[in-house]
Amino acid sequence: MKLLLAEDEPDVQLIARLALKKAGFQVVSVGNGVEVLARVIEERPDAILLDWMMPDMDGFETCRRLKADPATSAIPVIFLTAKVQESEVAKALALGAAGCIGKPFDALTLGQQVKAILQQ
Amino acid sequence: MSIRSRIFGVIGGVVVAAFLQTFVVIYLEGQRTKMTADLDRTLLQFENHNRLTRLVTELESAHRGYLLSGAPESRIEFEQLWSVYERTVTLLPQYVDDRDVQRRLRELDALVRDWHDTVAVPLIEAGREASDLAGTLLRESLPRMRAIRNDLDRLDIVVRDRLTNERQQASTQYLRITLVTLAIPALAIVMLLVLVAILARILLDPLAAVAQSARLISGGDFDVTLPEPRRDEIGALVRAFEDMSSAVQRRQRDLTDALSREREVSTMYATLRSKAEHEHARLLATISTVPAALVIYDAATGRIVLQNKAAESLIGQEPEDEAARQEHWQRYVATYRDGTACPREDWGPGRALRGEVVVGQELIVNHPDGRMIPILVSAAPLVNDQQQITGAVAAFQDITKLHEVDRLKSEFVSVVSHELRTPLTSIKGALQLLLDEIELPDPDHATLMGVALSNTDRLIRIINDILDISKIEAGKLELKVKVHEPKDLVRQSVESVAPIAEANGVALEPVVPADLPSVLVDSDRTIQAMVNLLSNALKYAPPKTAVTLEGSKLDDGFVQFAVIDHGPGIPPDKLDLLFQKFQQVDGPDTRRFRGTGLGLAITKALIEMQGGEVGVRSELGRGSVFTITVPVADAPVCPPS
Repeated sequence: MKLLLAEDEPDVQLIARLALKKAGFQVVSVGNGVEVLARVIEERPDAILLDWMMPDMDGFETCRRLKADPATSAIPVIFLTAKVQESEVAKALALGAAGCIGKPFDALTLGQQVKAILQQ
Repeated sequence: MSIRSRIFGVIGGVVVAAFLQTFVVIYLEGQRTKMTADLDRTLLQFENHNRLTRLVTELESAHRGYLLSGAPESRIEFEQLWSVYERTVTLLPQYVDDRDVQRRLRELDALVRDWHDTVAVPLIEAGREASDLAGTLLRESLPRMRAIRNDLDRLDIVVRDRLTNERQQASTQYLRITLVTLAIPALAIVMLLVLVAILARILLDPLAAVAQSARLISGGDFDVTLPEPRRDEIGALVRAFEDMSSAVQRRQRDLTDALSREREVSTMYATLRSKAEHEHARLLATISTVPAALVIYDAATGRIVLQNKAAESLIGQEPEDEAARQEHWQRYVATYRDGTACPREDWGPGRALRGEVVVGQELIVNHPDGRMIPILVSAAPLVNDQQQITGAVAAFQDITKLHEVDRLKSEFVSVVSHELRTPLTSIKGALQLLLDEIELPDPDHATLMGVALSNTDRLIRIINDILDISKIEAGKLELKVKVHEPKDLVRQSVESVAPIAEANGVALEPVVPADLPSVLVDSDRTIQAMVNLLSNALKYAPPKTAVTLEGSKLDDGFVQFAVIDHGPGIPPDKLDLLFQKFQQVDGPDTRRFRGTGLGLAITKALIEMQGGEVGVRSELGRGSVFTITVPVADAPVCPPS
């Protein structure tokens, strides 16, 4: 299963990539939303993990564009967000996101959480 | 003796003396009259005597003439003289009172008659022929005549003496009468003087003394010497005057005392007044200077009686006219922080006028100029001596800046916490993955890695707490309230602290009756609250004791969760502080158990936001019971899909 991970913080990106890899995912990681849009067609991931706050283009805008493009609108989007707030989650879900994972995430259970969301 | 009787006595004496004097005068006058009569009679006698003498002389002369001349005329003259003599001698004794003189007169008369009968008449009878004889007779007549003359002389001397004597007596008597007559007015004057003196002594002197005393007293000098009190009217007057004087003095003293008291009171009043005015001025200056808006309301009218500059700039000047005033206030609309409208009578001052003390009421005032001003209202009723509310004092504090600062602080804390959490997340993830991936040959290394991981966790918890509290304070914490089963909440809470319990050797005993109703809560936040309480209990519970989490249904539509430990307990004076921020039972210097001191504050906030309550009771040495209550769900729980 191939995941496209967008996280601007390199260390966090690394930890997340390693944790997901450990859980059996194939991970392509990028630093921002612009890169996500650039790589998504080429990589054709099974799911996309988006950090909420990123430079250049934030997760919200990225998600909106992904969902607006018929070519990518079917790909599930999972938000990684520190703002575990009902309103934020509701906003994300309204955009068509599959779910939210709160930051700081638990490296040992991150993969399971992603799987759980994708199975819904 | 009374003055009246004295005066009557004196006057009576004077009257008696005057009568006596009158009698004396009358008597003396009688004496004088009698004496004058005596003198007159003596004078007459003296004249008669002279006349008698002249008659005798003339008689002898006529006799002798006849004898010598023999003229009949001489004889007729002689006989006429004789008849005169006889008449005179007959008349004379009635004028004579002196027996001696009468006797002498009689003797004289006898001598004269003897001469007449024996000498004169015979000689005449004898005529001229018997001239010898006649010579002889003449010779006889002459001695007799000489004796008669001697008698007459002696009588004359006697009468003369007597006249002289009587004259002397009369003049003496006159003198006496004159003296007495003169003495009477003199005596009267003396008596009058004495009377005046007596009157003066008994009447005027004491009166003058009393008058003088009265003058002195009227001048305010009560140190007067009054005449010795006597047993009469003056004495009565003096005593009455003394009484009056002492009464006046007493009154004067009372008056002086009263005056001095009044002066004292008025001085005190003036001092107090000036002090009060000073205080008032100071208070006014203070009131006008404080940045908070201060307003004093009158209870009767509800109007503003005093406000400072800050108040005027915040709520303007209340118009005099009632309609304008209502309009004025309608332009100020206030809401609570949650946006619900706050009617004007529920503003702090309105509540204070109803007797309530309002502290820190937060309102957002929609100012007529368009600003939304957050204000903090504190108000208290003004109560008079009779415990009646006469007004209210209110302070409005514009907390716009405070809100701004608070917002900035929250933002800052939030940003900083995020910035701290990101690297911590990386550290934690890295350590977790590393520990999961590799086998460390040295057990110490594994322990060190464990220490790094657990401290990372603790740091993350602390940051989470800080984030939570800043969210709570900023009102930004949002709850996902849903229907949950108490047993699920208890299970999850117990599971998350089980490792700590195990590590501390403390038994965890969840007690959840089967009939507990479902509750309407944010599960994450409720579990967080229970975990906080359990963590605390486990921290303080001695090993080999049990910590119980017991659910129970309350009557008022709440479910209670009680965390019971058998730790050291909490001193009663600390109980109130427990749920405040940064409070620990141990002081900061003696902290045995580390933590932010935010856990219970967060717990309280989380539970209260859900409509529940937190509570604690504790006994030193016996342990503590912390309770939280959460509302029962009205709707039955939907079975999990």
